[in-house]
Formats: sequence, C-alpha cells, structure tokens
Amino acid sequence: MNKGLIIAAVLALAPTFAAAESFKDAFEMNRAMYGKNHTFTWQGKQYTTMHEEEAEAAVKATKANAEALLAKAKAKNAEVAKLGYEWKLTRGILTNAQTAIDKGEYRKALNLAAQAKYHARMGIQQYHYAQANWYLAVPQ
Amino acid sequence: MKIIRKLALGFAVAAATHITYAADTGFDMQTVDPEADRIALQNYYKSRFPNTEFADYVNGIYSVDADSREQWVELEEFPPYEFDVEKGEELFNTAFANGKGYADCFENGGIGIRHKYPYWNKEEGTVKTLEQEINECRVKNGEEAFKWGKGPIAQVSAYMAWTSRDKVFDIQIPADDPRAKAAYLEGKKFFYSKRGQLNLSCANCHLQGSNIRIRADLPSPQLGHVTHFPVFRSKWGELGTLHRRYSGCHKDSRSNPLKPQAEEFRNLEYFQSYMSNGLVANGPGARK
Ligand code: HEC
Repeated sequence: MNKGLIIAAVLALAPTFAAAESFKDAFEMNRAMYGKNHTFTWQGKQYTTMHEEEAEAAVKATKANAEALLAKAKAKNAEVAKLGYEWKLTRGILTNAQTAIDKGEYRKALNLAAQAKYHARMGIQQYHYAQANWYLAVPQ
Repeated sequence: MKIIRKLALGFAVAAATHITYAADTGFDMQTVDPEADRIALQNYYKSRFPNTEFADYVNGIYSVDADSREQWVELEEFPPYEFDVEKGEELFNTAFANGKGYADCFENGGIGIRHKYPYWNKEEGTVKTLEQEINECRVKNGEEAFKWGKGPIAQVSAYMAWTSRDKVFDIQIPADDPRAKAAYLEGKKFFYSKRGQLNLSCANCHLQGSNIRIRADLPSPQLGHVTHFPVFRSKWGELGTLHRRYSGCHKDSRSNPLKPQAEEFRNLEYFQSYMSNGLVANGPGARK
C-alpha cells in the first residue's frame, strides 16, 4: 500500500471532515479502523473502504495506464489550483510520477499519480467545505 | 512517526476550537459589517486574555506570553532592525536616475503615512499596499522593481514605518464602492477558511490557537498582526515584509503558497489591518 495514501487518508479525519455528511463519516471511520479493502454496511448497502484513486491505480502496470492516470491527476490538480486550494506537495508528486514513467516504473507511477489525484480531490472538497462553513469560526 | 505528529497537531487544534461561535451574520455582502467584526474580535480577546491591554496587541505573541516577553524586551534594547531603518532612510533619500525620489510619489513626501496602508483604490478597483506603491514609484521613474519579500523593499518600508510610529491605524472601507467591502469580505474569508494538507485556517492558529502551543510554537493573536511590519525575525536573520510572512504561514498549512502581493494576500492584509484599527503603527518590529 502506498504510504502517501495512508497519510492522506488519515489526515482526512481532521476536524473539518468530521462535520461532513454521514456516508463520509462511516467511510472514514471504517477506513481508519480496518484499512483499505474492508467491506462495511451503510444504510443497508455494502461498500468497501477503497478511495476512488486506489481503485484507479489497481490496473495493469502499463505505460498507457500510468500516463492516463497521470493526465487525470494533472487535470484535477489544475482544477484545485484554480480554486486556490492546491496542496503543497502535489506538484512534486506529479513530477515524480512522470519520472517514474520515463524510467519504466509504471506501478510506482500509478501509485504516485493516484496520490496526487487524491490530494487534488481532497483540496476541492476542502474548498467546497470552506465556501459553506468558513464563517462558523468567526467570533460574533 | 510523521503521521502521529500530524494527527497530534490536528487534535491539538481541534481541542482549541471549543471557543468558536456559530455566525449568523457577516458572511455575505448583505450582512458583512466590518466594524461589528472588529469589535467582536476585540471582545473575543478581552475575554480570552483579560490581563492584556488592547494597546498591547501591537506586540504580537509577547502581549499574551509573559515568558517570551522578557527575552524580547531585552532584544528590543538593541533593536536588530536599526541598521535596516538607517539603510532604508538612505535608500529613500537617494534620487533615482531621473532625479526624482520616493518623496515625489507619496502624500506628505512619504513621511508618517504607513498607517494609511493598505487602502482601497477606486480607480484601479483593488487594494493597494505600501510595498506595492514603493515598487510602482520605482517603475514609474524608470527604475527596476525590487524583489518582494526582503532586502531593499523591506528596508524602505521599514524606514517609512519608522516615521509613522504611534500613528493610529484607521483603515477605511469606502461606502461608495461595494468592491471595497467585497475585498474585505474576501480577506476575512481567506483568514477563516481551512486549507492545505493539514486542513488548517489562519484562524485555527491565530484565533483559537492564540498562545496555545502548536508543535514548538506559540501563535500570536490575530489582533494587531500587521502593525509592526516589516519585521526583523531572528529565525530569518533579516528583515521581511508582511507578505513574506503570509507566504510562510500559508505554506504551514501545507498549501502551495501564494506569492507576495497576490490579490488574495492584499485582501487579507486589508481585512487584518481593518481589524487592527485603533492600534498604533509600531514598525519595524522584532520577533523570534
Ligand atoms: C500551524 C499554525 C499556523 C497557521 C495555520 C498560520 N500561522 Fe501565522 N504564525 C504561526 C506561528 C507559530 C507564528 C510565529 C509566532 C507568532 O505568531 O509571532 C506565526 C506568525 C504569523 C505572523 C507574524 C506575527 C508577528 O507578530 O510578527 C502573521 C502576520 C501570521 N502568522 C499570519 C498568518 C496568516 C494570515 C495565516 C493564514 C494564511 C497564518 N498565519 C497561518 C502559526 C500559524
């Protein structure tokens, strides 16, 4: 399992996200307690504790697949940057993913691209959360 | 280990968030009221640090942390920024190649005006900062712009601040241009929005987290944040501008930081300076 993803997943438990909708709560709790690939039930249906990006990275380690996921990750990061919520390490991770592709290390590249895309997706969520909730922290 | 440290930070901040209130005003153009915000912030600090006088907030963390204050008072006996003020004065009074100087660009020859910045510029439809106008003055007179952040720009700014000591901040949000209030609101929003991989807002550290240990540091109260800039920071070993500090703190949330003088930072400075209305300009300052 990619270490970066674990860190990011753990971080998603920080206070902001705790207030988000309850599927997220259920997902994050199960993820934190049982790790990835765990099946849990929420409102009568079964789900697994896989992040979108982990599923996307779980493909055959080919150049084409790595390039495709990297392109998606770059697009997501451009999206979050435009919103002003780009994370600090993401660009470096994207660069490392490209380097891995250049060296033919497609599994590594897939994991890095997945991590970068996860960062970007979380940043976008953060942006939307902030839009709706920022003022709750203002003293009255 | 890294994970544990990050989580500990997250929880420390979470524990400090008990003193927040649910706002029912002040979050959009209809309800935002800068003066109410300013008074609410003062009241917040009054109840949080009852022993700190309002006027003392110009001294940052030293207004609320007695331990570090002693060292700082000693430091101020031989102010580390003294050389920079002298250098700034020299730069300020050296004519440009075309014979003009900074004094020609500013009201009152640039003396005693620091506390009027930043301000809303209606013609340009944007917030203008002192550093921005220092560089505009240079460019207008055929000189190259200084780099933002440190060095000569901070020195000229330090000299101008020095000539403005004890003048009271009275930042205006002109009512005849709604864009001014919108800029203020953007700055306020920036301050209170959580961001970055650590999911932290400025407020997490500088409002709820004021004087609460976060890793090895004690963040200062946001009240009075801007009054003493530019600042000589021992950690930098040199003088730096407010926006240099903004970039550093923005990065501390593990965000890709904005560059000095970005519109977002200027709006943030507008908001933070308005919050400091009633306090005196006391730049340049010295901090750890
Ligand atoms: C992780 C906590 C943290 C976050 C988040 C953070 N800061 Fe800071 N900041 C600090 C610490 C610690 C210092 C140094 C101690 C102090 O406050 O003087 C500091 C210093 C400052 C100073 C200088 C204070 C002085 O007296 O010289 C300013 C201004 C500032 N921060 C603004 C901001 C703004 C604006 C943001 C949001 C973009 C922000 N900070 C986010 C922790 C933080």
